[in-house]
Amino acid sequence: MEPENHKTKAVNVLRSRICDPKFIFKNDYPDSNYSKLKFMISNSVTEACNNSILLLGPRGSGKNAVLEVVIQDLLQEYPDSISVIRLNGLLHSDDVSAFKEIARQLCMEHQLLFSKAASFDDNSQFMVAILKECGLAHKTVIFVLEEFDLFAQGKQRLLYSLLDAMQSIASQAVVLGISCRLDADQLLEKRVRSRFSHRKLLFLPPSMEDSQKLLMHMLTLPIDSSFPHDYATEFNTRVQNIIEDRKFKETLQKYLNVDSCVKHLLRFLFCAVSHMDLQTGFLSQESFEIAFSSIQRQPKLECLRNCSNLELHILVCMKRLEVKEKSLCNFNSLMKEYKSMHDSFRTSEYYSRNVCLRAFEHLIHREMICFTDNRGQNLSVEFRPVKLLISSAELHQGLRAYNSCPAYLIKLMDREG
Amino acid sequence: MDKEKVSQTPKRMTRSSASSPTSTSNNAIAAKVNSLEPLTINDLLVGGDPISLDDIISNFPGRRNQILEIVRLLGPLNSPMLPLFVYGGPCTGKTSIILRLFRHLKRPLVYSSCRTCYNQGILFESILNQLFLHRKNAANGYANAKRCDRPSDFVNFLREALTNVINNLKEKSEKLVSNKMTQEKTGNMIYLVFDNFHLVKEWDKNSTILPLLFNLYDMLKMHEVGLIFISSTSADTFYSNMGYVEPIPVYFPDYTEGDIRQILLRNQANQKLYSSFLDVVLKSFYGITKQVGDLSAALKPLYEKYCEPLSDKGKGVAPDQQMRRRLLAHINPHIGPSLNEIFKVSSLSSTEVETQKEEKRKGNPRRLEKSEELGSLDFHMSTSSKYLLISAFLASRNPATLDASLFDSKGGSDNRKRKRKPSEKAMERKETLEEELLMKGPGTFPLERLLAIFQCLVSVGEDDEEPNNDGFGVEGGSGGLMSDVLLQLSSLCNANLIFKGRSCPIEGSTRYRSTISEDLALKVARSLKFPLSKYLYRNGISLECLK
Repeated sequence: MEPENHKTKAVNVLRSRICDPKFIFKNDYPDSNYSKLKFMISNSVTEACNNSILLLGPRGSGKNAVLEVVIQDLLQEYPDSISVIRLNGLLHSDDVSAFKEIARQLCMEHQLLFSKAASFDDNSQFMVAILKECGLAHKTVIFVLEEFDLFAQGKQRLLYSLLDAMQSIASQAVVLGISCRLDADQLLEKRVRSRFSHRKLLFLPPSMEDSQKLLMHMLTLPIDSSFPHDYATEFNTRVQNIIEDRKFKETLQKYLNVDSCVKHLLRFLFCAVSHMDLQTGFLSQESFEIAFSSIQRQPKLECLRNCSNLELHILVCMKRLEVKEKSLCNFNSLMKEYKSMHDSFRTSEYYSRNVCLRAFEHLIHREMICFTDNRGQNLSVEFRPVKLLISSAELHQGLRAYNSCPAYLIKLMDREG
Repeated sequence: MDKEKVSQTPKRMTRSSASSPTSTSNNAIAAKVNSLEPLTINDLLVGGDPISLDDIISNFPGRRNQILEIVRLLGPLNSPMLPLFVYGGPCTGKTSIILRLFRHLKRPLVYSSCRTCYNQGILFESILNQLFLHRKNAANGYANAKRCDRPSDFVNFLREALTNVINNLKEKSEKLVSNKMTQEKTGNMIYLVFDNFHLVKEWDKNSTILPLLFNLYDMLKMHEVGLIFISSTSADTFYSNMGYVEPIPVYFPDYTEGDIRQILLRNQANQKLYSSFLDVVLKSFYGITKQVGDLSAALKPLYEKYCEPLSDKGKGVAPDQQMRRRLLAHINPHIGPSLNEIFKVSSLSSTEVETQKEEKRKGNPRRLEKSEELGSLDFHMSTSSKYLLISAFLASRNPATLDASLFDSKGGSDNRKRKRKPSEKAMERKETLEEELLMKGPGTFPLERLLAIFQCLVSVGEDDEEPNNDGFGVEGGSGGLMSDVLLQLSSLCNANLIFKGRSCPIEGSTRYRSTISEDLALKVARSLKFPLSKYLYRNGISLECLK
């Protein structure tokens, strides 16, 4: 029982680390975004001033996670003088629901009764009043606006009234915008922009060396009483060996070339850890290889493999029509092409129109092809124009890789391509 | 696959059926909901007998790798999980495997299918109802646990509900630990499963709901929540300009021919016979479609035919070489036609069709099945709506300028038959016109034109028919029953045989378009003994190139 137990426990520990932003981003280098952000916010808390900061960086680079860690730290440091309001552009991009949500969270924070029926005006006045009160009590309100760019749509009334309320000396608030649009501050109206202090914090994806360090940091087990000492050291040396292996480095480089942000790396780690062999209880080179192959997908090629022979015929017909530079292509013109192909190549099987129509619909469901017009409800399927969603090169590659594909189809593609 | 689906339905039913005995009185329900709080958490588990992993693997041929991969990704008890994205074509066992696995693992899950929850409000309510352990019943007026259609409310309620559930689960597992009952563990994790996720793309507000659901994991920031998306299209078809961190993909490829063979062989009474049947037919059918559902539907009638020469319909006969050859000779002529009818959906239930065919066979045994199919309409329509349908078809296909010459009172067909050598230019124009017809589809026409053609047709029909069945012709000709015709027109529109467009803003009149295929029009005409081809402008060309 016992040896099994610590192996699953190791998996559990690693998996919870991967899902836990605190473990990943809590590093106290003076240069890290974590330290910078913490310094800025704690400064405005202690000095009782207003501040507004934008956290910018590609999706999955840990903006939100770092902020979360900072806020948790600050809440421990100054438990009484901070209250946090969290908004998300996906949920609260319209002004009415945004103010409602602010009022709700403020009420929760201050043990007030929240009225659902309160109007937009009530809520916005309530917010200004509370901000004033908090300023008098030397309490900082931190507004976190996730998906900041979505708040910049429309009239930007929320941003304006937030930033405008911060102009008075009495109030004490920090507005933190998180966005993956690097030009997020350019989206602001003039009246909003002029009230915004243009502090920006850029989150860049880690370099290859940093990624490796992060891997090491994530994958080493603690050497203490929680694991048997031999097991933990053995595990750690194996991980070390794998990470320093040249082949592994190549794989990792290949993976990070697509997208090198932290979240992307974590996905890879997660897959690798879940493929860990529970019999031996150690991570191996294979688990990383499997993870790499299972996470790097080529959906169109997979889809092509799923297509039956008839569906492949239709795709090739469509490709031929495209090469002939027919501006529009629909099922009827496809069938004409199919027939001419059948006539010129004397193919063994020729299916009726109904069967082809169903195969055509299958292709649409698989999103290999799609209708070019989204309205066209008044036309039946046969007449609606369609286009290919797979590139010629991919189609070619897929047909070649596909064993049961008839040879003349490839020949046809060769001739056209 | 059908079998899987069937066995899956009762399993999903168990949750709701657990409540059915209590519905005798409202008090009892209330008492149950209030008093049996820990029990209701168990309702989030997938009901049914415990099932071992080996059983699951043997139940799903060709799915071993996928099952093991999902088990690994779900991880051991209480281990957090990044969102999973399970995808693969229809009929590849995605949903059934996940549900079975959860039955095996005994972990709580909240299952909602985006097919039954067809908009975001219903989806939200379905998830919340399950999480709040809420049952719609007479006592609460079949109301939902929470009213919410805005995403912001949903996330708030969801957070609240999830914390409740997770706390319950934690309490429960602590209790179990103290009682030393280790095999009954359900863990602290709760999994949300979104089935048929690809349908969300077609929802009204998909530009907000898709990023919301994809970012839900980051938004909730709860490590005890696992998200599983099941979709029939891959993740790359969901790209929007919002962006999101991609979930972990798990791919279910379509079954290979060998797998399909294994699946089709399951639950067959006579394995050997069926296997020899598959030897003959499977390869050619596999060329058309790889979907198990389609294949099993197409092969069923063919197998019955295959067994026909056998005395006891193929029960308990092991085929030897000679019998195989005999059966092959029997089935061979049927394979070709049935390949072309593989996707045909009959409007009658299969048994009815069967009996009908029987009867027909008795009546005229010489006739081939194919001509039988062509000759008859499989639904009933009144004579006047048939005429209306044909006139709509003509109005859509023929250019309006030709109406006068076609429906001349003297009979336009004489006009058409003039022999003139078509010049090259005319031929060219003909071709482009033909092309246009193929590309653009049927044209639109105003109501007046339809009624005019209808009247002409009816008068012709009257001439052709014998005088004793004139009951209809008089009505149509008199024009007094115009409202009746309009009524029939609207019912044809409702049946989607004629499409009714919006009224044109300039002309102010509604335009119609016939949506029926040439085949159907010909069938209708044949049932009226109406010479449709005579009236169809340059008929034949399009038929030739379409067939």
